Amino acid sequence: MRRDVFQAIADPTRREIINMLANRQLNLNAVAENFNISRPAVSKHIRILTECGLITIQHQGRERYCKANLKKLKQVADWAAQYRSFWNSKLDALENFLNEEQTNNL
Amino acid sequence: METQPLIVERTLAAPVSKIWQALTDNEKMKKWYFQLENFEARVGFEFEFVGQGRKGEKYLHKCRVTAVEFQKKLSYTWAYENYPGSSEVSFELFPEGDSTLVRITHSGLETMPDSPDFAISSFTEGWTYILGTSLKQFVEEV
Repeated sequence: MRRDVFQAIADPTRREIINMLANRQLNLNAVAENFNISRPAVSKHIRILTECGLITIQHQGRERYCKANLKKLKQVADWAAQYRSFWNSKLDALENFLNEEQTNNL
Repeated sequence: METQPLIVERTLAAPVSKIWQALTDNEKMKKWYFQLENFEARVGFEFEFVGQGRKGEKYLHKCRVTAVEFQKKLSYTWAYENYPGSSEVSFELFPEGDSTLVRITHSGLETMPDSPDFAISSFTEGWTYILGTSLKQFVEEV
């Protein structure tokens, strides 16, 4: 199975976990209590998020805390930005074409 | 959380009729867009063209017209030969006096894994969720 940031956010439960952790650290139990799915299922999502580098688990005494590493998400934003810049360059070209067309018709 | 398409908008100083011609008249398209053999603004019309990647690689784009509303909207599928997935591009025109707001909507990008021009190996449903959340601001600040 693929392990990258895109795989991490492909699943709605995982997106929800990322959102929960976006502003605060939570221990594993607190994360699991938010979902109506089995504890092993939550653990599996946590494991995938960890393998994708989006969250890290820190042991504090007997507690295990999850912390989000949101910088990883920049990959997704960068990817989208490439398409954005492609279409912007096409709009530049269209704009230039329209300007030339107008000049030629004067 | 919903996924969102990529939207790029710009107001151009030309009436919708001129822009519609630029989008649908192949002789005009050649001057700013891509070199197509033929183009017809009718649903079902298929066309292809070679686009260049950032490293000079050539990719055959394969497209099929899916919507035509005269001077209002033109949509076609957008896929790469030898790559899975298919996205859709729409051009919408909104008159604003002598100018026109052009809106390009590119949806379904998440279906196109390993798109040739992107170093990232793959992407999936959910990639755009970043674009519409508070996380967006965060990642832009990083």
